[in-house]
Amino acid sequence: MNEDEKTQQNLIAFKPQLEKISKKGIALIVFLSLVILFGLYCLYIQDTKGHIVTGMRDNVVWGLYIVNFIFFIGISYAGALISGILHLLRVPWRTPIIRMAEMITVISTLIGPGYILLCIGRLDRLPNLLLFGRIQSPIIWDVIAITTYLSGSIIFLYLATIRDLAILRDNPVKVAKWRNPIYRFMSVRYKDTTKQKELLNVVTDLLSIVIIPLAILVHSVLAWIFGMTLRPGWHSTIFAPYFVIAAVYSGTGVLIMVMWVFRKVYHLESHITKIHFNYLAIIMIVLGALYGYFTFSEYLTSWYGSIKWDMEVLYRLFNPDQYFLQFVFAVFIGVMVPIIIVTVPRFRNINSIAFAAVIAVFALWVKRYLIIIPTLESPLLPIHDLRPEFVHYSATWVEWSLTFAGIALFVLLFYLFSKFVPIIPIVRTGEEKDYSRLRKVVFENQMKKVIKKNKKSDMISTGIILLLMLVSVPCAMAQDETRIKTVLKLEYFHVDSAQNLTATLQAKVEGRYLPLQGMEIGFKFLQGSTEKSMGTAMTNEQGNVTFSFPDDILATKGDKGVYSFTASFSGKDNYDKASASATMKPLRMEISFSQKGQDKMIDLKAFEPGKKVDEWVPVDKLDIQFYVPRTFSLLKVGKGTITNGTTSLEFPTSIPGNQLGYLTIVAKVEENEIYGNVEVSGTINWGKPLPLTKIIKRGLGDTDAPLWMVYTLIVLLSVVWFHYMYVIFTVFRIRHLGKS
Amino acid sequence: MKNKLPSRRKFLKLGVAAGASALFVGGSNMLSALTNNDPKETGEKVKVLTQDGKLVDVDKGHLCCPPVSNKEARQGIPDKKMVMVIDLAKCRNARKCLQGCQSMHMLPPHMEWIKFYLMRDTEDQAPYWFPKPCLHCNNPPCVKVCPVGATFKRTDGIVLIDNDRCIGCKFCMAACPYSSRVFNWEEPKLPKVAHKQPYSPETSTPPKIGTVSKCDFCPDMVRKGELPACVKSCPNGVFYYGDKNEDAVTNGTDTVLFSELLESRAAYRFMEELGTEPSVYYLPAVDRAFDYKTGFEGLSEDEIALYKKEAKITE
Repeated sequence: MNEDEKTQQNLIAFKPQLEKISKKGIALIVFLSLVILFGLYCLYIQDTKGHIVTGMRDNVVWGLYIVNFIFFIGISYAGALISGILHLLRVPWRTPIIRMAEMITVISTLIGPGYILLCIGRLDRLPNLLLFGRIQSPIIWDVIAITTYLSGSIIFLYLATIRDLAILRDNPVKVAKWRNPIYRFMSVRYKDTTKQKELLNVVTDLLSIVIIPLAILVHSVLAWIFGMTLRPGWHSTIFAPYFVIAAVYSGTGVLIMVMWVFRKVYHLESHITKIHFNYLAIIMIVLGALYGYFTFSEYLTSWYGSIKWDMEVLYRLFNPDQYFLQFVFAVFIGVMVPIIIVTVPRFRNINSIAFAAVIAVFALWVKRYLIIIPTLESPLLPIHDLRPEFVHYSATWVEWSLTFAGIALFVLLFYLFSKFVPIIPIVRTGEEKDYSRLRKVVFENQMKKVIKKNKKSDMISTGIILLLMLVSVPCAMAQDETRIKTVLKLEYFHVDSAQNLTATLQAKVEGRYLPLQGMEIGFKFLQGSTEKSMGTAMTNEQGNVTFSFPDDILATKGDKGVYSFTASFSGKDNYDKASASATMKPLRMEISFSQKGQDKMIDLKAFEPGKKVDEWVPVDKLDIQFYVPRTFSLLKVGKGTITNGTTSLEFPTSIPGNQLGYLTIVAKVEENEIYGNVEVSGTINWGKPLPLTKIIKRGLGDTDAPLWMVYTLIVLLSVVWFHYMYVIFTVFRIRHLGKS
Repeated sequence: MKNKLPSRRKFLKLGVAAGASALFVGGSNMLSALTNNDPKETGEKVKVLTQDGKLVDVDKGHLCCPPVSNKEARQGIPDKKMVMVIDLAKCRNARKCLQGCQSMHMLPPHMEWIKFYLMRDTEDQAPYWFPKPCLHCNNPPCVKVCPVGATFKRTDGIVLIDNDRCIGCKFCMAACPYSSRVFNWEEPKLPKVAHKQPYSPETSTPPKIGTVSKCDFCPDMVRKGELPACVKSCPNGVFYYGDKNEDAVTNGTDTVLFSELLESRAAYRFMEELGTEPSVYYLPAVDRAFDYKTGFEGLSEDEIALYKKEAKITE
């Protein structure tokens, strides 16, 4: 391609940077690599031992990592600002700094998301984000926004580098010649023809227009991760613009720092001049003032409103024992010092501006810390915890190491990149003038503790453990001469047509009754003075055994309709024997429902054996309880007394039945001395019908997202990616044009 | 156990009918599901009400909970809407609920799914104990923010976590205004049997490293027709649990009408102003059964001091 005189001069000036790495440079690379390697070791520790190695706990769930995440995404703004706004406004002095700005964007957008990965407890499950991603979650917004922003920034950086790549193709480097084919491939046959030039300018303009709103959206989304929660100090509408302003502020600061460093290292005094520092410094303090204004507005609003939880966060920030010093530094010094340095001409020089930038950048890092930690330390309910690390966050060496590893990676990538393409564009674009002259317990213990605790009060678990021991180690226990007392209870149940006897066997251990499992209980039926064995059964885990007996036993009538049963436990190992007996008289109950006009009634009839065979006579003066069965228990709905064999109760129509209104009514005689436990039930659709289950909607908490969200996302992504595709297509056109 | 003994007898009496009631609503749905499995027959028959109001005899072994699939665990128990009512007047910070909960869910001692606060806003008021499980909000801030749908709201109102899907981003912990969620910061040390146990979001066991956990309202117990560990363990009957659709809640001993309890005791929901719509209702600590100081029994001096500080008690 054609090279003008200026380009030639630049090439001569910058080529040594690409071809030579000084000893200091190698030392730097080795040092940074070591810091990064140690960071990787820390990551390994964190991934194998769990997040216990960090300072993060149940209340402060996020720490340094998320602070670094916001910080790096924040400084990525440098590129969006300079390359986007300055490019569109055709600000003439932008050219020497445009590549540095774009490199900051790309590198920090690469490193930033790394920190959010460090916050994730299960890195092995990252694919779930793609498999089960819910677009209602701000984290998914972030994933989408950052990948889109990163892609755009890489394309933009590439577009702005094509011209230089073409120059390097035409003037191959003599050292590390493997790079030459890469230059050749990446320069897409760009020969600076009128048509190629025109196409490149159009797509660069187009992308800079797309990247500005995109950058604003990315940082808003980042703010919304916090803003969408119901946390004091986070749940604020100002958060998105606040984050955007703070981001540009820190981004500009980092750009000034990078300019200052490269200016010194590569001796770019003739290219990056005081005028660049001055202009950027002015942009920086304007942003700083805006940041100060937003901060003031945010804290004034929450102080004036003085909601309890907001005040708690403010108390932490203004308490000299907590975060007051950091707060003063982050919002006062971090704003005032840069403004004073830049506005007072006497203080204003390249070094002081660089210092102001360092203050601003560091203050902004601290500010992010103050946004995250004090809020997480102030949950709505007090942190009731005696472990200090669960109350106050303090970063561990693992977190600090990974923070420094991120910074090291940033510097390393920057340095290596500057060895690949010139840090300052060689080819100057047409409208530019020459300004060179102006110039990131343990379960067993718990069991022991439970046992210990139980000694004091609760015996449930101890009992179960003891019981397990008693049942599982009978041999060992047999040697022990201590006899264990047992208690047997026998009850008669008559449920609808089913009649049974339930025996409960319990052992008295340490003054408490515990169920005995797997013990044989014998049942006997007393008829007159003769005993008739009915059989045996084993107790279940609750110490119960239910013995159902056929109707024909009852059909054989005893004396005066009274029956007697006995249950006996003959003893086993060192458990004493026990026996119990129950006497009952059969009771026949019938339940029916009747309706007289508006009144819906439950009618209950009760009969007992008469003097003759198969004769049933009405019962008198018998208390009845009425229930409705619910999931866990019976709900009492009323009671009645059988008079002359009948009783009635108004049907509880207000109680919900099933979807068709079917409701079961249980009528019971409880623990009656004569009749035992007798119950009868009936069902009718007089209950309150249960409303049909609602259809699952598309809400924030549902699996499917609200439609407006889906459409918004599709539209936004289509617009942006359409432009990316168009740009890539144009690059291929440029390549095609280069053939001829 | 102490309080369970008298209730056991009662339970037996109610047992058959209670089992039937477990399937009272939508019984036909479960019946069809039951036939697909190979249940162990116990010989014990239980009555089940079908959709069209017919009572059917079913073997008890058929009822007892075939393991639910992940899909079923995400949907919830049909036609139910689980609610809890906590009677602050009866709580004395005995912490039996927590012990029951921890042993059931194999939690390490410090992992508390139920937290206890000594509440007092101003020095003019009197302190009262406030146990707080997960409130299972109907508008859950935690569920909204989950990037992978690992935590979800079911049709029966229960908010669960699928620890096989959770990526551990802790966003739900930051989003929960009630501090209900806890994190498995390190590999949970469990007995060997626990490792063999198949994981289900309904049992929340065994716990998994790098994932979030919280009170799960014991849906596995609901399926069995049994009460959650905390309800069963409470010696004072503080926790009432039940199905709102049935308009009944029980604390193990008493079963009452849910609507009537809320009305007669002037129930409220915690921090209603947040719009989270909790499924847990609190009954104001009116006519307290215990002096708040009985709640200090068994606590360390440091903890008592911390409680006093939180409740602004100066003695």
